[in-house]
Amino acid sequence: MQEIIRAEDIRKTFHLSRKQRQIERSKTGKKVALDGLSFTAYEGEIYGLLGPNGAGKTTMLRILSTLISADSGEAFVAGHSVSREPDKVRASIGFLTGELKLEDFFTPDYLFGFFGRLHGLPEEGIRARKEELFRKFGIDAYAQVKVADLSTGMKQKVSLVISIIHDPSVIIFDEPTNGLDVLTAKVVTDFLLELKGQGKSIILSTHIFSLVEKLCDRVGVIIGGRMAAEGTLDEVRGGKSMEDAFFDIYKREVTGK
Amino acid sequence: MKNILTIISKEFARFFKDRRLVLGTLLLPGLLIFLLYTLMGSVLYDDSHTYTVKAVHLSPTFAQIFAAEEGEEPSVRFEEIAASEAEAAKEEILAGNCDALIVFPEDFDAILAGGSYAPPGGENTPNVQIWYDASSGNSSSVYSLMRSALDTLEDNISNRFDVNSPAAGGGSLTSGEEAAASFYAQLMPFLILTLLFSGCMGVAPESIAGEKERGTIATLMVTPVKRSELVVGKVVSLSVISALSAISSFIGTFLSMPKLMGGNIGDLFAAYSAWEYLALFAVMLSAVLLIVSLISILSSLAKSVKEATTYSVPLMIVVMLVGLSSMLFTTSVPAAHLIPIFNCVQVMSAIFAGNFSAVNLLIALGSNLVYIVLLVFALARMFKSERIMFNR
Repeated sequence: MQEIIRAEDIRKTFHLSRKQRQIERSKTGKKVALDGLSFTAYEGEIYGLLGPNGAGKTTMLRILSTLISADSGEAFVAGHSVSREPDKVRASIGFLTGELKLEDFFTPDYLFGFFGRLHGLPEEGIRARKEELFRKFGIDAYAQVKVADLSTGMKQKVSLVISIIHDPSVIIFDEPTNGLDVLTAKVVTDFLLELKGQGKSIILSTHIFSLVEKLCDRVGVIIGGRMAAEGTLDEVRGGKSMEDAFFDIYKREVTGK
Repeated sequence: MKNILTIISKEFARFFKDRRLVLGTLLLPGLLIFLLYTLMGSVLYDDSHTYTVKAVHLSPTFAQIFAAEEGEEPSVRFEEIAASEAEAAKEEILAGNCDALIVFPEDFDAILAGGSYAPPGGENTPNVQIWYDASSGNSSSVYSLMRSALDTLEDNISNRFDVNSPAAGGGSLTSGEEAAASFYAQLMPFLILTLLFSGCMGVAPESIAGEKERGTIATLMVTPVKRSELVVGKVVSLSVISALSAISSFIGTFLSMPKLMGGNIGDLFAAYSAWEYLALFAVMLSAVLLIVSLISILSSLAKSVKEATTYSVPLMIVVMLVGLSSMLFTTSVPAAHLIPIFNCVQVMSAIFAGNFSAVNLLIALGSNLVYIVLLVFALARMFKSERIMFNR
């Protein structure tokens, strides 16, 4: 199988503000988010980064999407270095995270056209893609409604279709079902499986065990910025449920036993 | 280039499709300035009002000063009353039924004709009493009028020489138009800079710090658009919107200024050539770009619109102080035109005074262009910095 994402010894430390220092009770004013993280995801697979809050999952995905850079180490997406060829990486990926918001003032219809043009799509291509995705996600009826007036679920659907407007080969989703009602969450998970069926490569972060079991081919368990376990879903689970396997790994990492 | 145009079109759509923004940023500033200044001018130069003054022992010589030309209304109408009615007249002043009370000595005209020197504050020095209401605009105005007339009368009876009498000559060597130009040269750069800054403040923090605050700028940053394209697109669109806002305020100021100064709009239009208006537009445009770039940098450092506005206040004070510099001094030294903002003030001042130099204009525009490019470059670097862009 051809590798599509490779992270090599990624390290990232954040400098904390005075307020964050108090919250984190940090004396050094620094927080190590990633401590030598390495993993590989392969073409046509769904790779899941599993870990508790603050483990470094989102930081890793932000590095892969070129939003932030690693202090050291190197990562490649679709054969492009995230540090040296960020523009090419961004053209290859679709990135969705709760951190990315859409301007409330505009309608889904306007935003789709705007982001389509930023991705260099021709007007005809934008129109065809819009028809396809808006119909699939039921956005047609809300296409001319301002984002501010949409429900949370509908906003998430609009964000999702905009993130994949350019039909990227690699899809990076940070907590894709977070905050969604069950119906919208089902639409998203089904769509991820559909994308996988189309041969797309997907990397997602989550702390929901059932989602990992349902979607992922390979799993990386991150604890404290380090890769605690990595492999296929079955290798990581070791015959247990994902939840039991995770807590065994967590206990081993935290207590050293 | 295509991405820059896409960013610009989105910024324009954000602005022009929002009726409240268009009304608050483009239409209201100019309209309010025009109405406010016109109203101030109307009040300041309103000579149609006739003041009512009650007078005891009214001096015919004094009354003659306020006599109206044939067919015109007098500015002051005197009503003679007896000395015993003075207290009642004071009550009328306070009630707003009368503007002032003037009480002359009985033999006031005789004093004017043949009186001897009377030391100020002396025991036997004749006294004219003027009673008025200092809290009333009309009462205060008529008091000033009568006080001034009495001073003139006093000057006349002790006159030993004239200054600039019409017969003997003397006076300003410059024409009225030149004097007006000098006034505009001092005032307009400050006004224009203030209006430009207000226009920029209305849109720049919202577009950059606002997008950071709402998390929408990160969405743009994961598209293939280059940071430099994003910055140029934002700076250009913000500059156009700020310039439109400034033009609105400028038109309001321009149309109302002659009224405020008691003149006519036509005088001001005729005072400057097309070339001078073009030079003024170029300087204003470079000032807008400079200010937008500076506020954009401060907005990038801020976590919210509120913080960006707070950061911009010291800059606004500096810009306004520099704007005031034309009231204190002007310089035609070319090197001084390398100083940003100050060069705009100096060139605008020279344009309004009607003596601007093309060399200084080019130095100012050229140096500002260099500063703008450097600031845009710095802004693009800042957009690449995760510590700056994601410091929420």
